[in-house]
Amino acid sequence: MKNRAAFISTLLSHELVAVVARWILGSVFVYMGLIKAVHPVDFLKILREYNVVESYIVLNFIAAALPWFEVLCGLLLLGGIAVRGSALLLIGMLVPFTIAVLSHALAVQATKMIPFCAIRFDCGCGAGEVIVCHKLVENASLILLSLLLLIGRGNRWCFQYDFVKSA
Amino acid sequence: MAQPWLKRVMGRELKRVLLEALIVAVIGLAFSLLANLASPRGLSITRNYFPGSKTAHGEIHGSGNSTVNPAASSTYGADPSAGEIVATHLKEKGLQPVDGREVWQLFQDPQYQMELIVFIDARDDRHYSEGHIPGAYQFDRYYPEKHLRTALPACLNAKQIVVYCTGGNCEDSEFAALTLKEAGVPQERLSVYVGGITEWAANGWPVEVGERKSGKMRGAKP
Repeated sequence: MKNRAAFISTLLSHELVAVVARWILGSVFVYMGLIKAVHPVDFLKILREYNVVESYIVLNFIAAALPWFEVLCGLLLLGGIAVRGSALLLIGMLVPFTIAVLSHALAVQATKMIPFCAIRFDCGCGAGEVIVCHKLVENASLILLSLLLLIGRGNRWCFQYDFVKSA
Repeated sequence: MAQPWLKRVMGRELKRVLLEALIVAVIGLAFSLLANLASPRGLSITRNYFPGSKTAHGEIHGSGNSTVNPAASSTYGADPSAGEIVATHLKEKGLQPVDGREVWQLFQDPQYQMELIVFIDARDDRHYSEGHIPGAYQFDRYYPEKHLRTALPACLNAKQIVVYCTGGNCEDSEFAALTLKEAGVPQERLSVYVGGITEWAANGWPVEVGERKSGKMRGAKP
């Protein structure tokens, strides 16, 4: 047991793991962000369906800005620039979004009386209609990868790992 | 128990990460707004795209796109109660819902050729060119400046205007009709085809592809 924990610890602290995590996260966010940025109206309609935002100005602002914001964060991670700051922002986007997907799915389940994992809808992630269980697992994985970058020291192949240098 | 020096180091690290995130957030915000502004499909932040409506219509608010089987809710033909809900909703907004049979009669009416009856397709470019009711004008209400110049004069000259979108949970026809009303089209002339292009095509009625009056048809039953 102790050996396994040590192995996992060694693996997570390995720089290559952080590089792979960075590239996976970066690619996913650039891809998903671009899909939404190309079709902002579709994203706007889906955002509205969550009924989380009352103000239309805030709704428009999120639909207009969030996709490009994701693209930028993804590009920063791919290039290895401000890695931990970008990872923190990704967590800041992923956690509320995952909660919104979960609560929306629970509302659908309560209304339609169907098994949770049979629910599928277009969550606005850019991948079209998805099975909600798959989406939640995917988001949890992305959050874990972001956490890994946030606490990790994987600064190999980075243009500028830290924006803010230590004193 | 963490040592005081460790706490100090961790505190400094946390501040650095937070500051870095703040810098990225500010740059990201500026980049996002500029990109949206430069994009031909960018959204207007100040325009209310859903006037007079706070929630999407559906069985539960916000579940319009939810389904166990995605094919099941694509048309009102598959779910008549949803059609009734939308028809009631349209009437509440002062819009006249019309069903497929009425729309087919209007389509065959000689006044349609004279453009005294006009069909308005409220979907985006891609969906419109993939297939629309023959002769229908496109009016993508999200980009009105692009379509009003051609669609509005036709609507103002017509005696009856039928607005449609995909059908199902699509609300674009409703909002397009309201936008046309705001642009000066008398409300009593506006009606909304609830079943939309999905029902139209499912009935085997002719569908024109490409541009308006392109003459390229598909799906017509002999």
